[in-house]
This record gives sequence, structure tokens and C-alpha cells, in this order.
Amino acid sequence: MSDVPNQSKVEYSQLEVGYEFPPAHYQLDASTVSAYLQAVEETHQLFQGSALVPPMAVAALTMASLSEHLTFPAGAIHVSQDFEFTDTVTTGDTLTSHASVARKQDRGKLHLLAIDLNVNNLEGKTVLTGKTSFVLPDSSAQAETPG
Amino acid sequence: MLALADLKKGDNLPELKKSVSQENINRYAEASRDFNPIHIDEDYARKTPLGGTIAHGMLILAYVSQMMTAAFEHHWLSGGKLMARFKAPARPGDTITISGEVIAVEKGDGQNRITCNLLVTNQHDEPVIIGEAIVGVTNNENSC
Repeated sequence: MSDVPNQSKVEYSQLEVGYEFPPAHYQLDASTVSAYLQAVEETHQLFQGSALVPPMAVAALTMASLSEHLTFPAGAIHVSQDFEFTDTVTTGDTLTSHASVARKQDRGKLHLLAIDLNVNNLEGKTVLTGKTSFVLPDSSAQAETPG
Repeated sequence: MLALADLKKGDNLPELKKSVSQENINRYAEASRDFNPIHIDEDYARKTPLGGTIAHGMLILAYVSQMMTAAFEHHWLSGGKLMARFKAPARPGDTITISGEVIAVEKGDGQNRITCNLLVTNQHDEPVIIGEAIVGVTNNENSC
């Protein structure tokens, strides 16, 4: 799906506001969409016999591409998630997701990290925007990827 | 789909109930490429403060989006806005209820803006997700 090269992940302690993660490109092929529909038990007629893709499938793959680049300490908590679906996506579309650090704040032994997300199609049209936020403990614990 | 022309404050969205199982979670991990061990490795998860595996927050949000699609169809797919806060994890064995309520209908020029409260609870009535969704509905399609 994603053609992001296998490069080293960034630890959250290295991130600064404005940091841009490498863009990720992926195609929503029929098998990817079908696997997603089965996984979430989505049976709505809109997605049966049409090429429309559930917007949360795009969101899920965007988050997956982000996790390819980011390492969090154990105990990181996904606290909030905002999305705006600005255009429909269809099977076969090739998308590019962009992510950048919007906010990084220390509160005692906890850290707040917010990342802006933006996904475009091949025509350059934005299909999804969003923000994902995590609360992170001190990084002395074992590292893991966000979930 | 809901009768959008008749929607008013206080109306409920079509409720969904979902059973969370490790099998669901594993399938979602494959489909979303999110293999964080807290979701799929029971031995690993048992040793964490969570005490066991938990569902991906994004899986539960997919169920929320499913409810919104049932209510608003293509209006949700292009023009939907979702703001969610994760309050507690959903675990294998949980039965979760996804619900929503219209809290505002703002009439606009050519488009109405519908705001809904969202709530996901587990079988103990504990909130798993709270949030809000906004959908723009064109006036000439209000009789959907």
C-alpha cells in the first residue's frame, strides 16, 4: 500500500512544533478497501457495488503511515481525534498524506503532542484533514509505536 | 437515511451495537496496518497497566462513522466533521453502543448545518468515546 521507504523512526522527544513527517503515498486498491469493509463490518449499501470508500478507511491508512515514522514511549495514550472529510474517495485513488507537529507541550511528567493531518488526491484536492493528539509519559520507558 | 428535512434538536441518530472481540481487533490490525502489540499481543498487553489487549481507538471511530453514514449517507462522506475524545478503552468481550443526538440545526443559504453529540458506551454504561459531529446538508436534498 504505502511506498514510504523504510527509514528510521523519529522519537517524540526529537519532535518540534512545525516538524513535517515525510509524505506518504498510497493507493486504495480493491483488496485494501474490501479488507477494511470486512474488518469494520461495514455493510451500508453506499459501499456495495460502488467504488466509494469509507472516509475512516482513509483516516486509518493515514494514521498507519504516520506510525511508520513515529516512536512513542510505552504508555502513550491516544486521547483525541478530529477529522473533516472534505471530498469523497473512490477505490483506485492514489492519495498523499502529510503530517506535521501542531503542538508539543510539557505538563510535569506528561507531554501533550498534537499532529495535523492532511490528505490529498492526485488532483491535489484535499480529501481529509484532521488532528490527532496523544498524552505521553516520560520517555524513560520502553518505546513503542502509537496505536 | 434519516428524513433530513424533519431533523430537529433532540432527535436521535440510529443507534448501533457492536461486540468487540480479539478476532475483530486482529482483522482491523491487518486492514489498517496498525500492529501495535497493545492491540494484538495478549502476553505483551497483560504486562502493561491496561492489563490486556484493547481495541484500536480508530476501530471504534469507524463504528461511529458507520452510524453517521447510516444517518446522513453521502453528506457524511463529503462534508462530515468528527471530533472525538477517547475516554476509556474498549476491550475484547465488551459490547459497545454507538449513539448520537442532534443538538443543533442551523439553516443556511443553500445548506443546513447539523450538529450532533456522539457517545460510545460499554456494557457498564461507561463512556468509551464522547464527541461531536457536524454535517452539511444541502437544502434541496432535505427530503432525503
